[in-house]
Amino acid sequence: MDHGKASDLFSDYVEDSLPLAVKAELEQHLAVCIQCRTDLASFRQTVGALSRLKKAAPSSFLPSIQKQIYDRSRGRFFGRRWKLFGRIPFEWVSLAMIIAMLIYYIALMHGAPSGVHPSP
Amino acid sequence: MSLAERLLIGRLKARDEQAFNEIVRRYGDKVFSLVYRMIGSRAEAEDIAQEVFVTVFKTIDGFRGESKFSTWLLRIAANQCKNRIKYLARRPAGTSSFDDAVDHASEGALPIPAQGHIDAPDVLMEAAEMESLTQAAIAGLEEDHRLLIVLRDVEELSYQEIGEITGLAEGTIKSRLHRARMAIKEHLDRNTR
Repeated sequence: MDHGKASDLFSDYVEDSLPLAVKAELEQHLAVCIQCRTDLASFRQTVGALSRLKKAAPSSFLPSIQKQIYDRSRGRFFGRRWKLFGRIPFEWVSLAMIIAMLIYYIALMHGAPSGVHPSP
Repeated sequence: MSLAERLLIGRLKARDEQAFNEIVRRYGDKVFSLVYRMIGSRAEAEDIAQEVFVTVFKTIDGFRGESKFSTWLLRIAANQCKNRIKYLARRPAGTSSFDDAVDHASEGALPIPAQGHIDAPDVLMEAAEMESLTQAAIAGLEEDHRLLIVLRDVEELSYQEIGEITGLAEGTIKSRLHRARMAIKEHLDRNTR
C-alpha cells in the first residue's frame, strides 16, 4: 500500500467503516510508515477540530423571530397577550358578539309593545 | 418521528405559538450553527437563521412527515444558505461575508467547559485561534463540500440524513466529504504545524 492509497482510506478508518481485510492492510502499512501515521494523526485532529465548531444561537434569537412574524402577519401572531385570560382569538370574539346581538334581538322582540296606541 | 414530535408539528400546523416557540428552542442552535459555519458571518447567520424559522411558520402545512422534521428544517436552512452565498458572491469586492471569521470563540461557542473546570487563558486563546483557522479553511471550500463538512463533522448527522437534505447518494457524500476533510487538513497543516 502506498501513501496515496492509505490517505484515501483515512475517512473510513476514523469512522470505523472499513472492511476488516482493508483495515488490517492499512494498519500494516501504518505500522511501518511514519509519514502516514503523522498524516493520520493530523487528519484525526482536523476532524476533532470540526466537531468543536458548534455554535449556540444568541439569546435574542427567539424574540427576534417572534417580532418578525408579528410584523409580517400585521399583529395576528405573537401579539401582546391579555395578561388575565391570555389572547382571545378574534374568531371567538366574533362569535360572542353574534350571540350577544342575537340575545338582544330576541329580548327586543319579546319586550316590544304589541300595538301602537295613539296618545289621547 | 416520535408521537410527541408528531403532536408538536400538529400544533404548529394549527399555528400554536407555544409549539412554535418549542420548535425554535429545540432546533434554534442547530440551525444557527449550520448557517453560521456555512456563511461565516454572525450578522448574516442571525438574519438567515431567523428567516428559516419564519419560513417554517409560513410553510409548515407543506411538511407531510415523509422525512424527519429536523431533516426538512435543515434542508430549508441549507437552501437559504445557498441562496445567500450566491447573493453575497454578486456583491462588490471588499464586502466579503467572511468578515468576522475570527469571531471570538468565547461568544456563544460550544462546548461549554466541563463542570468546575475553567481553561487557562492561553488554552482558550489557542482554541479561539484553532476555531478561526478551521472556519477559514471551511470558507475556502466549494459550497457543496462546505455543506457536507458542516452537516457531517460539525452537526454530526448520519449519512442517511445528509442524503435526504442534499439529495446525494451515500457514495458521493463520502467521497466529497473525504476530499473536503483533506483540504481542511492541508490548510491547518500549512498554518499551524
